[in-house]
Amino acid sequence: MSEDQRPERAGGAPGSGSRVPDPGPRPPRVGVFVCHCGINIAGTVKVPELVERVARIPGIAVAKDYQYCCSDPGQQMVRDAIKEHSLNRVVVACCSPTLHETTFRLASEEAGLNRYLCEIANIREQCAWVTEDRDEATDKAESIIRMAIARAVNDAPLEPVGVDVNKRAMVVGAGIAGIQAALDIANAGYEVVLVEKEPSIGGHMAQLSETFPTLDCSQCILTPRTVEAGRHPNIKLYSYSEVDAVSGYVGNFKARIRQKPRYVDFDACTGCGLCMEKCPGRAESDFERGLDKRKAIYRLLPQAVPNRPVIDPEACIYLQKGKCGVCAKVCPTEAIRYDDEEKFVEEEVGAIVLATGYELIDPDKMPNYGVGRVPDVIDGLAFERLLSASGPTQGEVKRPSDGKAPKKVVFVQCAGSRDQEHGVPYCSKICCMYTAKQAILYKHRVHDGEAFVCYIDVRTPGKGFEEFYKRATDEGVTYIRGKVSKIFRRGQKTVVWTTDTLAGKKVELEADLVVLATAVVANPDGVRLAKELKLQLDEHGFQTEAHPKLRPVETLTGGFFLAGVGQGPKDIPETVAQASAAAAKVMAMFGQDRLFHSPTTASVDEEVCVGCGNCEQACAYSAVEVDPKRRVAVVNVALCEGCGACAVACPSGAMSHRNFSKKGVYEMVDRA
Amino acid sequence: MTYAYYPGCTLYTKARSLDLCARRAADRVGFSLEEMPSWVCCGAIFNTAQDDFAARLGAQRNLVWASRLGDRLVTLCAACYNVLKRAGARLSDPAHAEERERVLQFLDEPYEREVRVLHYLEVLKNDIGWDAVREKTVKPLAGLKVASYYGCLMVRPAEVLDFDDPEDPQVMDDLMRTIGAEPVTFDFKAECCGGYLVVNRRDAARDASAKVLDNAKSWGAEAVVTTCPLCQYNLDRLRKPGGIPVFYFTQLLGLALGMPKEELGLDVNSGDPAGFLEKKGLL
Repeated sequence: MSEDQRPERAGGAPGSGSRVPDPGPRPPRVGVFVCHCGINIAGTVKVPELVERVARIPGIAVAKDYQYCCSDPGQQMVRDAIKEHSLNRVVVACCSPTLHETTFRLASEEAGLNRYLCEIANIREQCAWVTEDRDEATDKAESIIRMAIARAVNDAPLEPVGVDVNKRAMVVGAGIAGIQAALDIANAGYEVVLVEKEPSIGGHMAQLSETFPTLDCSQCILTPRTVEAGRHPNIKLYSYSEVDAVSGYVGNFKARIRQKPRYVDFDACTGCGLCMEKCPGRAESDFERGLDKRKAIYRLLPQAVPNRPVIDPEACIYLQKGKCGVCAKVCPTEAIRYDDEEKFVEEEVGAIVLATGYELIDPDKMPNYGVGRVPDVIDGLAFERLLSASGPTQGEVKRPSDGKAPKKVVFVQCAGSRDQEHGVPYCSKICCMYTAKQAILYKHRVHDGEAFVCYIDVRTPGKGFEEFYKRATDEGVTYIRGKVSKIFRRGQKTVVWTTDTLAGKKVELEADLVVLATAVVANPDGVRLAKELKLQLDEHGFQTEAHPKLRPVETLTGGFFLAGVGQGPKDIPETVAQASAAAAKVMAMFGQDRLFHSPTTASVDEEVCVGCGNCEQACAYSAVEVDPKRRVAVVNVALCEGCGACAVACPSGAMSHRNFSKKGVYEMVDRA
Repeated sequence: MTYAYYPGCTLYTKARSLDLCARRAADRVGFSLEEMPSWVCCGAIFNTAQDDFAARLGAQRNLVWASRLGDRLVTLCAACYNVLKRAGARLSDPAHAEERERVLQFLDEPYEREVRVLHYLEVLKNDIGWDAVREKTVKPLAGLKVASYYGCLMVRPAEVLDFDDPEDPQVMDDLMRTIGAEPVTFDFKAECCGGYLVVNRRDAARDASAKVLDNAKSWGAEAVVTTCPLCQYNLDRLRKPGGIPVFYFTQLLGLALGMPKEELGLDVNSGDPAGFLEKKGLL
């Protein structure tokens, strides 16, 4: 929780306090506190000399130094000095404000000073750590402190902006990450809107056969969750729907949800399945990774939640040619709606969890691996379908070209992962383990079959992972260390060219089936949505967390939280843990009645504003609008992130930034 | 449109059909190749030894001469293309400015302008355009399944040649499609034909070229086209009796543009190429 979301301790709600006297008319009485930070600062900056020099600056009531200002005694020193010297401004010269600004602002407030009258002079990251010469560092530290003093003197006392919290959450994506987050939030007693683009929930986990390293059946552990999510009184499920747009701000979002046409009346349909039985239309099944066809009216799997089919308009003979109508004829509840259209609904929520998941990399990027050209080269998800009891072969391993059981299977790891030339530079993290799992399962299904794994490294950092890899080798899976260079067809065989770097030899394997552990990439729909929402993405399209270590499920935009592979490749246990963490963050937010937002926002001088709208154009957060009646800009302080772009864009000087006024900035430059 | 043209030595001897068909085909689709008044050997192999700048001098001399004629130089032989383009890139690389000084001092002639080395296929694709080629096609090669074989020199190193996808090149396939043939995808488009091993390790070269031809055949190819004289020689001369014929792409282009049999230079191909084309109803 940031400082600004924290309500004041004494005195009740913000805005009601009368305890802070307006220091405006009084001459500034500034206290400066210089931190040694052990040797981090004092090792370079000559702190005693610096304090002496600072004490001589006009208007300084007191200047002190301390070993660790952030410690309890250090904070006490600040509090005591405020009272003893009647300080009305505080400058702490220490580390970056991202670390301890909150600490000292709250300490100041405890001593009766408005928190926004306390400023940080960063003399560690921006001075001591990057300067070698001690005298130079001391001079620079003095300049930084002088600037902070100038800024503090121009500060006005402010109160945090309080907003109400709508205690409903939206979870985008209903794979295992989204389901877990939704269930956790719903079980805590809050309403959840769960949005899934596919006709039913479960995501990629619904495609998997068994899960590593315990080999429990994926469907068997997933379906209790999908069923619970489907019938939970606190979960409102929008399947076959996508988030179209989100407006508003933390605590008060409005989401526009696009419901794709199902051509089936959701309420009238009972999910009996008669239509699917009789439908003559066929299409490639994405869910079966192209290994099977599905009907034009279809559901993804027998355990679909919700158990309501949809019609694929591309494959439907009636929708394409106006003839057929078999499904409508056989439907006992007259639920078919050929004239169905997309619908938009609006939902109001206070927090949003993105669980948009992954896809596999486009195999066209690796033409040497022959996907699409060589029939018996498939990806890991397709092999999962071959292993799955509910898959196109009912769990029998059969190769696509002729349906025979392959006697020799080659698994190719790092197909696109760790490959800057053809794929992505990162490690997809899950492939080593699922390849070991697939090789073991293959050996269980085809007893006289041979399994080879071509790998660069086998990475097993997880509970029971190394043992699982050992199990694969014990069960007779042959591991060959080397990067596969080429896969092609020779007669009925699929030839794999690789090297054995341990033996220093070229290797040619004649396989019946080749399984590529294709790189995991961020789901393109998730990337599109995150861009639409102006959330930060890394260079590969994965959503960026607020801090890689300490704020792993939050984003830099208030009210948005992350769960699952959309944030980066991870396996099921890690995904579930992250989803629960995101849910916990949402619940912590919902535990408060009001949220507090920094008041250091843009503000308009309406006397000066001419309503040109430059600020509206400049704002990345849609926080500024020109009032069409009065023709002046209006700032929505709840949305404003205080970036200052509008103040820069304003030609008349009407737009300014609270506690970052032009006057203050000029004075900082003058004093530097 | 007229382009300065560098034929290279092989195109005057073993690969003369590659050259003759290309010149005549150019006339038919609306551009002309003007052979450089004077040219020397390209060096045949791009030498990468650190201190051996002399080995690149031949290629660079050609570029300096070409710079008097214009800013583009067209070539056909895959080896010449590879060597000239890489020697040119080296000449223009600011990291080797000192070497450029030495080269130009030795040649004692100014490099008037940067010369862009273009392959004939690039001219067809980018300057003439497939649509224009299709328009001039009078005898579409309907029903002919062709595997386009690029070998190693046309596409690598990709960062310098910047010609096509180094793993799965397409430009010759596109041309074949344009003139009505059916391009066959196969796995050995850019694998080795055996190269100069044919001189002292004929067995090794035979193995390498047999892999290429066998793979093309397994994908249903009835003929192979190439733009490299060495590839053509290895595939054509080392193939087993009854193997599929290996043409220069310009021969099939010429055929499709309506050139008579005598102009196709089918005498450079081994076996009975004319018989094959007749059987396919194309001659």
